[in-house]
Amino acid sequence: MTTETAVDPGTVRRSANVGPRRRGWIFHACMAPLTLLWVAPMVFVLAVAFRSFDDIAARGLGALPASFSLDGFSTALSEGAIGRALANSAVVTVIGVVATLFLASLAAFALSRHAIPFSRTILLTMLAGNLLPPQILLIPVSSITQSLGIYDSLFALIVVQVGFGLGFYTFVLHGFMRSIPNEVLEAAVVDGAGSARIYARIVLPLCRPALAALAALATTWIFNDLIWALTVLRTETKFPITVALLNLQGGFVSNWNVVASGAVLAAIPTAVVFFAFQKHFVSGLLVGANK
Amino acid sequence: MSTTDLSRRRFLAGSAAIGLSGALGGCVGSGGSNDGGGGGGGESAGSSGPLTLQSSAADPQPKAALKAVVDTFDGPETTINTVAVENFRAQLPTYLTSENPPDVLTWYAGSVARDYASEGLLLDVSELWEGDGACAGFSDALRELSTTEDGTQIFVPTHYYWWGVFHRRSAFDQWGIQAPETWDDFLALCETLLGQGITPLTMGTGSTPWMSSGWFDYLNLRINGPEFHLALLSGEHSFDSAEVRAVMDEYAKLIPFIDPNGRSYSWQEAVTPLVQNKAAMYLVGAFFTESVPSDVVDDIDFFRVPIIDDSLPLAEEAPTDGYFAASRTDNPAGAKELMSHLAAPESQEVYVAKAGGAFLPTSTDVDTSGFSPMIQKGITLLEESDQLTQFFNRDSSDELQTTADTALTRFLDQPDQVDDILAQWQQAAEQVFQG
Repeated sequence: MTTETAVDPGTVRRSANVGPRRRGWIFHACMAPLTLLWVAPMVFVLAVAFRSFDDIAARGLGALPASFSLDGFSTALSEGAIGRALANSAVVTVIGVVATLFLASLAAFALSRHAIPFSRTILLTMLAGNLLPPQILLIPVSSITQSLGIYDSLFALIVVQVGFGLGFYTFVLHGFMRSIPNEVLEAAVVDGAGSARIYARIVLPLCRPALAALAALATTWIFNDLIWALTVLRTETKFPITVALLNLQGGFVSNWNVVASGAVLAAIPTAVVFFAFQKHFVSGLLVGANK
Repeated sequence: MSTTDLSRRRFLAGSAAIGLSGALGGCVGSGGSNDGGGGGGGESAGSSGPLTLQSSAADPQPKAALKAVVDTFDGPETTINTVAVENFRAQLPTYLTSENPPDVLTWYAGSVARDYASEGLLLDVSELWEGDGACAGFSDALRELSTTEDGTQIFVPTHYYWWGVFHRRSAFDQWGIQAPETWDDFLALCETLLGQGITPLTMGTGSTPWMSSGWFDYLNLRINGPEFHLALLSGEHSFDSAEVRAVMDEYAKLIPFIDPNGRSYSWQEAVTPLVQNKAAMYLVGAFFTESVPSDVVDDIDFFRVPIIDDSLPLAEEAPTDGYFAASRTDNPAGAKELMSHLAAPESQEVYVAKAGGAFLPTSTDVDTSGFSPMIQKGITLLEESDQLTQFFNRDSSDELQTTADTALTRFLDQPDQVDDILAQWQQAAEQVFQG
């Protein structure tokens, strides 16, 4: 019961609104410049994205915009193939998130609700895998995907993303599922429901807040991942947005408007996801906060 | 509340549906392409399988130029796969050692290619250099650059460029100055410019610290000669020697003239002060014209780094680019066919014309009369030279370049620490040569 209320997004928002509506002028005097400082890089990137190359090259990167042009965007989309890269990222992210959460919820359900020998060891092993820095696994992952014959395919990237996300998501969901009162499940058993039915009809709906929070986090993590994509992909047409941006930056080194436009385009999906799932991000940060 | 809930649920359901359809599409797509690349190329198709050209030419103009050249290739179907150069450099060993490597790759001639060849990773292309092969007519210098220790050729050079001190013609006219003839004139000119409040030299050593090797290479070539320079880079001389010390003494004279902001610039950003007439000169490769605004390109001119000791053979840096093939390619015959096409005079002509930067063709059969006056001047510059070198990293290795970057960027900040810097440089270099 306690967990239910803690992660209910509505509660979080309501309690935030309870705070003082009017704050002191000192607060505003301090926070306004800080906010400006925080926003400055984004404004800078936006300003650069809409300038023309000749303007930037002749007057410098830091100069006030003296031109307005969409050349950066059109070049980033055509030459840099940012559109194709976004589609690749979308495929990897959506399949990756859905598959990871599905598998993680199954694993968590089994580990938390069934008497599995060494369940604690299994869980801790899965989590321990997540504590390894990915850098030391780059070469093994690269050669394993090569020997499996899936190197340089989006499928390989999805498998890697799912594999590396699984431990953490299982751990979080495990904790969440353990807090579901036993009585609810026992009632279902009395009504004649099997394990699959309990999982699909009782546990998953109750885990919705946790799943939503994890989905929001996983989306940004997978979408923003660069290192695995670099490790398992080498063909330009399969690059997700992060690698494509790196490529764009390498190819258009001095064309800051193109690089900035690419960055703006790449940021749009994550921004959309963030605003759509805003509450879940907050609850995502609180997952496991009160155990 | 219920409406927002409903819409969110619908949104989630929608994205899940998209996910599922994407999942199916993704599996089909990846499975199919994997079959095409892995299974199909090797056993069944034999020598007619499709080719992959892994290219580091990611800048828009060279990329388009390479595409134009490959489009006219009538051999096996070829896909160009472009990866930006920094990435390419890091991944190159992976490309070459993988089970199913790209067939042909762009890279540099000289010791870098030789290093890979000594590990057996490069395809022997000697037949292109014999009889009526595509490279048979290339100069002896190019042949030597493309040959390994055991006498086989593993590289196909297609274009090169020169280094020089670039400047804006209109700015020189405006300031009433002329390209200096001697080293003393050059230093005096820098002094005059500095007195007028103009930065004499721009140089971007921030994210591209290897730029600092440009002056090192040239001063070493001008003071100690090309023979010593190449021997130094192959580990036969010490960096902590009187000869290198003399180079650093001369380099130290330049430091007050170099734009201090350049320490945080990339080579591309260092072009801006030159274009804005805030800086007068830039020692850089001719490729830099790609980063010059289009209305200024015609105003760019250059001169040879002035001669210091005229008893030495006259050497210039002329980095050579081209192609090599992976020894594990499924289709060696096709790879050689593609490389022959890339090296053909017509292909080189198309590439040089479209690549934007000031590239020079390696084939002597290319008609150069249509090229811009600056390129003509570049050709003359190299023809007048007694010997051509590449660049620090290409004449040694990327590992040795790292030691140079560390030493030279520190030297730019603390020229008075030169003894300590050279001693540490030698130590680091010894580790590279031993390892």
